[in-house]
Amino acid sequence: MTDEQALIAASKSGDSAALDALVRTHQDRVYSFAMRMCRNVEDAKDILQDTFLGVIRSIREFREESTFSTWLYRIAANACLKKRRRGVHDPTPEQELSLDDLMPRPDAEGRKPEIPDWSGDAERALLHGELSARMESAIDKLPRDYKIVLVLRDVEGLSAEETAQAVGLSVPAVKSRLHRARVFVRRELADYLTGSQNS
Amino acid sequence: MTCRELFERLSEYVDGELSQEICQEIRKHLDGCDPCVNFAKTLKTTANLCRRLPAQPIPPAVAADLRVVLARHLSRSK
Repeated sequence: MTDEQALIAASKSGDSAALDALVRTHQDRVYSFAMRMCRNVEDAKDILQDTFLGVIRSIREFREESTFSTWLYRIAANACLKKRRRGVHDPTPEQELSLDDLMPRPDAEGRKPEIPDWSGDAERALLHGELSARMESAIDKLPRDYKIVLVLRDVEGLSAEETAQAVGLSVPAVKSRLHRARVFVRRELADYLTGSQNS
Repeated sequence: MTCRELFERLSEYVDGELSQEICQEIRKHLDGCDPCVNFAKTLKTTANLCRRLPAQPIPPAVAADLRVVLARHLSRSK
């Protein structure tokens, strides 16, 4: 049994010290996720509190079929969605991202687009601290249903299966949204690094 | 495989989620298509850079408020 499994077992038996230890272990992760989703300290604070209140209420029902962190993200994702339904916070409109719109286009004469390899420039810009703000801004422009998938999968590092469990989608739907979201963010970075969205 | 067909599968390709057979088709296309090679590289870089974005640390006051809210809830439910 891992330390975390021991804490979960003790929490299920009503051990408040164990519960507190679980909260302290995961509070930064949940706060960071909530901040990235809503960009507002008050909303992130509400999501953080709702998430851990949800954990306290339902820890006995946690069957450990998924990891604790995946279960936690599921509660946090629901807290984000509830906030949206209450209309408190909705920074990004509901919309579909079309692959046709996101795919680089041939030039006027039908030649394939010029796509430079700007990977090295992006790495250097990230090291110099220039790129993080631009990336955060690109992620913020994503429609919310795409943003939550990209944040869980690429920023928080969940697998496609874990992301699907957290947001209540099928794995193919997660992969489809992730791809569109990534291509969107990539286009924003291309624009920043090369001056052209079509690159 | 066309550029468009490859474009649709690129995230699954860079994540290593496709069958050997489809990967082979993709590599065959990439052998003769520089724009797709560079698109695939920069898409993979985008995903990698997301993973390296800094976490947003919890402000001490927010952590303290969380403790208060949870303690209040626990004392009520005893």
